[in-house]
Amino acid sequence: MLTEIQEGKALNSVVKYITQENINLYAEASGDFNPIHIDESFAGRTPLGGTIAHGMLSLAYVSEMMTSAFGQNWLSEGRLRAKFKEPARPGDTLTIEGKINCIEQKDDVSYANCTFECRNQKGDMIVTGEAIVKFSSGKK
Amino acid sequence: MPDKAISYEELTPGHKFPSTKYELSASFVSKYLKAVDSKGDGFVPPLAITACVIAATTKSVPIPPDTIAIHASQELEFFKVVPIGTTIECHIGVLQKISRGKMNMLILELEVIDKDKEKVQSGKATIALPT
Repeated sequence: MLTEIQEGKALNSVVKYITQENINLYAEASGDFNPIHIDESFAGRTPLGGTIAHGMLSLAYVSEMMTSAFGQNWLSEGRLRAKFKEPARPGDTLTIEGKINCIEQKDDVSYANCTFECRNQKGDMIVTGEAIVKFSSGKK
Repeated sequence: MPDKAISYEELTPGHKFPSTKYELSASFVSKYLKAVDSKGDGFVPPLAITACVIAATTKSVPIPPDTIAIHASQELEFFKVVPIGTTIECHIGVLQKISRGKMNMLILELEVIDKDKEKVQSGKATIALPT
């Protein structure tokens, strides 16, 4: 977890290599067997040209970064807004980075407003968004 | 199961799909953590819960034939730490249906509650459906 929550502080980045096996496991765990994710022959005939990872798989890595930075505060009081810009594909290495943009105080409660980005090895933006975590309460 | 009672064309804002229950068992969490290549921290990862909601969405929402549904954006809010073994109930409803040229967009409202009817997670998913 972060020892200091300050504006401008970068969160520890997360790097993940995506394999078709990860995607298949994700389909099995989630029950989302959309053929665009798991059927290479079907996906190859679509405009996407091949299988793609579930958007929520990439977003899971963002949540891992947030959990590592904010612990249970993220699990119990986190909020996020994400846009899926490009699909992640098997063979991609995703790097997830984030930082605390500002800290807001509302009614004696502090909120860390973060932005995050998930890019592939070519620098293409896969997911972008913002996350807010409540991290302290001054009220008794 | 898809909501066979209604077609995509008949969906209107306010429509609620039948709710779906999931048990967030140790084996489910373990499978999920393996898929996302993560160690976990003794609780159900919030995005594992969202994965169940999205799976429920793909099973419930009637997508027009020969259409690839693209998950365009996602909003989420988490309300509590969820212990492994919890059973959750996913509620999905249509918030907005937009048609712009060759692109249809469906904005879904998602809510997850536990067995005590306490809110676990809520959010919005935008699904793009190119025609």
